[in-house]
Amino acid sequence: MSNARHDAATDGSTDTGTATDTGTDVDTGTDADDDTDGHTATGRQHGTTTTGETDERIRAEWTDYEFAGDVALSVEDLDVYYGDEQALRGVSLDVPAESVTALIGPSGCGKSTFLRCLNRMNDRISSARVEGSVELDGEEIYQDAADLVALRKRVGMVFQSPNPFPKSIRDNVSYGPRKHGDVDTGLLSRLLGRDDEETEAELVERCLRNAALWDEVNDRLDDNALGLSGGQQQRLCIARCLAVDPDVILMDEPASALDPIATAKIEDLIEDLAEEYTVVVVTHNMQQAARISDQTAVFLTGGRLVEYDDTDKIFENPESQRVEDYVTGKFG
Amino acid sequence: MTGATETGVVRGRASTAKTVAAAAVGLSALLFALALAAGFELLSLTGRLAGVPTIPLLGGLLVTLGAAVIAFGAGSRLELVETDPSRSAGLVAGTLFTGIWFVVTGLVASQTLGLGTVGWLAAASLGGAAAFAVTALPREDVGSTVPAGALAGSVGLVMLTGGIGPDWSWSPAGFSDAQSVTVFPRVVIPIAVAFCALVVGWAAAKAYGGFGARGRHLGAYLLIYLNAGSIIAVLFVLVAFVFAKGIDPVMAGVTVGLGVGPTTTLAVDLVIPFADVRLFGLSYDVVWPVSWPFVMNGASILNDVNGVWPAIVGTIWLVVGAVALAVPLGVGSAIFLTEYAERGRFTQVVEVATNALWSTPSIVFGLFGAAFLLPRFTPTPKKSLLAGMITLGFMLLPLVLITAREAMLSVPDEYRDASAALGVSKWQTVRSVVLPAAMPGVVTGVILGVGRIAGETAPLILTMGGGTFVTVDQAASVVDSFQLTLSPPFVTNPELTQATTALPYQLYQLILANVGQSSGIENMDTFRWGTALVLLVVVLSFYAIGIATRQYFRRKLDYE
Ligand SMILES: Nc1ncnc2c1ncn2[C@@H]1O[C@H](COP(=O)(O)OP(=O)(O)OP(=O)(O)O)[C@@H](O)[C@H]1O
Ligand SMILES: [Mg+2]
Repeated sequence: MSNARHDAATDGSTDTGTATDTGTDVDTGTDADDDTDGHTATGRQHGTTTTGETDERIRAEWTDYEFAGDVALSVEDLDVYYGDEQALRGVSLDVPAESVTALIGPSGCGKSTFLRCLNRMNDRISSARVEGSVELDGEEIYQDAADLVALRKRVGMVFQSPNPFPKSIRDNVSYGPRKHGDVDTGLLSRLLGRDDEETEAELVERCLRNAALWDEVNDRLDDNALGLSGGQQQRLCIARCLAVDPDVILMDEPASALDPIATAKIEDLIEDLAEEYTVVVVTHNMQQAARISDQTAVFLTGGRLVEYDDTDKIFENPESQRVEDYVTGKFG
Repeated sequence: MTGATETGVVRGRASTAKTVAAAAVGLSALLFALALAAGFELLSLTGRLAGVPTIPLLGGLLVTLGAAVIAFGAGSRLELVETDPSRSAGLVAGTLFTGIWFVVTGLVASQTLGLGTVGWLAAASLGGAAAFAVTALPREDVGSTVPAGALAGSVGLVMLTGGIGPDWSWSPAGFSDAQSVTVFPRVVIPIAVAFCALVVGWAAAKAYGGFGARGRHLGAYLLIYLNAGSIIAVLFVLVAFVFAKGIDPVMAGVTVGLGVGPTTTLAVDLVIPFADVRLFGLSYDVVWPVSWPFVMNGASILNDVNGVWPAIVGTIWLVVGAVALAVPLGVGSAIFLTEYAERGRFTQVVEVATNALWSTPSIVFGLFGAAFLLPRFTPTPKKSLLAGMITLGFMLLPLVLITAREAMLSVPDEYRDASAALGVSKWQTVRSVVLPAAMPGVVTGVILGVGRIAGETAPLILTMGGGTFVTVDQAASVVDSFQLTLSPPFVTNPELTQATTALPYQLYQLILANVGQSSGIENMDTFRWGTALVLLVVVLSFYAIGIATRQYFRRKLDYE
């Protein structure tokens, strides 16, 4: 496998470290100034690793992505440790508002970890330690005064594996709004004739339609959600997240358990959502990332953000050789 | 086995053999059941069964069984029957048969033949070694059938030939008083027959499966089924026994029909509290359409049939009070420990302490109640319903805490994460996701705990008291005696500070008391059995309520 990649190496002399060293000693672009003449002139510096991943230096400008419009999330120098192990190294990127940002990269490179930093779900993992800063609409979320409940109301999340509650389909969807007091079907309000049953029904239908699940479940809304198939459960989780009406939606491989038809529906949904919401989506499917996202961030082994740019740029003409190898399916 | 006809012949013979093996399995199950019946004295060992004296009949069946199994093993070894045996019956079977035969030959040598220590040890070792050689060395078909068949055969032979007859008895020497331990056939025969039936049934099931993996599988199944069956049988016999003994006194004088039962007065009194102004009063008499004296009466010389109504009421109130105290406290602490407290030294200590508390003997709880609760409610220490409730509540608390904590720990973290990611606060998450998912487990804990406290006697002797023969007007009427008062504590209930009785406590008192004529009870024995039956039914009803509750919560979580 590594032999196959040697022809891609234009300069073997800069091979850093041994072949087993999968690029963990690569600097974060601080030495980019030394190569001011740019990569086109010197050629890309890389060797190959055992995984077939080319070893090269990351340049700061690869992750500098200029865009017009508002910044929804601004991430600065994010480091995440699980115990002694570092899962993310100095990640900085700005997520534009009302757009779809795709995160791609090989398994275990820290995409889910990064996503969990954006709504502070990592706080729930006792071994996890987060350093750096994340700003939501200019407000720092990693500060002591941060209200996690309010934050997560604004930054919704769909998990990698479907996790519906052991409740009815209807209750799953209306769970968030109910707990936030937006929908009230409690006994007291029912007695006082103020219950929101119709609002609830509308909400449930709208969210399920958006998540492309309505047609399959509209006649059994009172059934337990655990009786749904894996793909249906995933869409239910999307509906449940939509029901809270967040500003930002984080999706961790939302289509990994879905068939092509449902996947297409979810992709349509994500594109629609981007008109009002900011969507950050992790995917392993390159075509999907290319189809639905406006910009793409590529993470590679070791928890580094290697390149972040317009999706078209990433898929057609990436700066990094490793990113090119990855998106063309040569490794990972 | 090349020609079609030859294969057919072999197959035919194999199926005959299989029928024999199946019949042997069935016969051993039957023998096992007969042994159980004899053990519970449902089958008389001195009498006859199907016209044949019981002991020789059982012996003959054992001999037949043993012979059939050995024949099957030999047939398999001689390749007359198509089987698939392993190379050896294995070390486990070998060790077990060694042990069995060591004991059997040892007993025969020392007790029947009267050999000395050296003699019987030598004989027993020889028997064990022979059994090991026969089991472990030859092929599996011989190894697992011959020792088993020989065991059943020799035990059966002893019974068949009258070696152990109805009048046989055995007083092992070595006890200081030679007569202090004597074993009679009513003990030996059921145990020996059941044991031989298990062993030879196992061998027969193995044979039926054709030995090998499938045979071992069937053999294990047979053992498990017979054991499970006998456990259920014991339970069933226990309940049936109490029913049989207690049903007559309990059902005495039951009449059904309009207006036969006692009268209950439903009264509504609308009184302005603290002012003693009575707005209106309404009272309506309801006559029950059933008269069930044992359940509805107390004990009194005036009654035709005496009953245990006060004790039933007492038990129900005790359980209600204890549950009302323990469940909120236990579930609350469990929520704190699982969801809020940092997992570490502190939670560990609490866990160990609750486990220790649950294993604390109930009489110690009773002493605690007597020392700390009795002086609290009345000027002079006095046993009371309230003290009983609190004592039992504290007994129930650790189990509720332990099970609720386990149930909450087993709720997957995904649910908590999902809820948190929707911006729902921790308390809301606990209330709407964790608790409902943990509810069946919590209810299971309460069921188990109530089963224990409802039948508890010792702490009640020390804390609640009550009489042996209680008249019906002494039944605790907790609901009626709530009173509102002007001064703190505003609500009083004198009934709670009265001593009252409960079923297990009363049963204990009835067993202590010898005569009941003064209270109109003619036959103390039937009265006791009746009380025991009512206790059993009351506890089982609590159990049923618990199961129904658990089912309700479980159905909410399940998707079937
Ligand atoms: N709860 C955790 N405790 C300890 N280590 C963790 C934990 N979660 C993730 N990690 C580690 O952090 C690294 C990044 O994991 P992460 O789940 O973010 O990868 P990923 O990019 O989402 O991979 P995938 O595409 O397979 O989902 C991995 O090495 C993983 O072992
Ligand atoms: Mg992941």
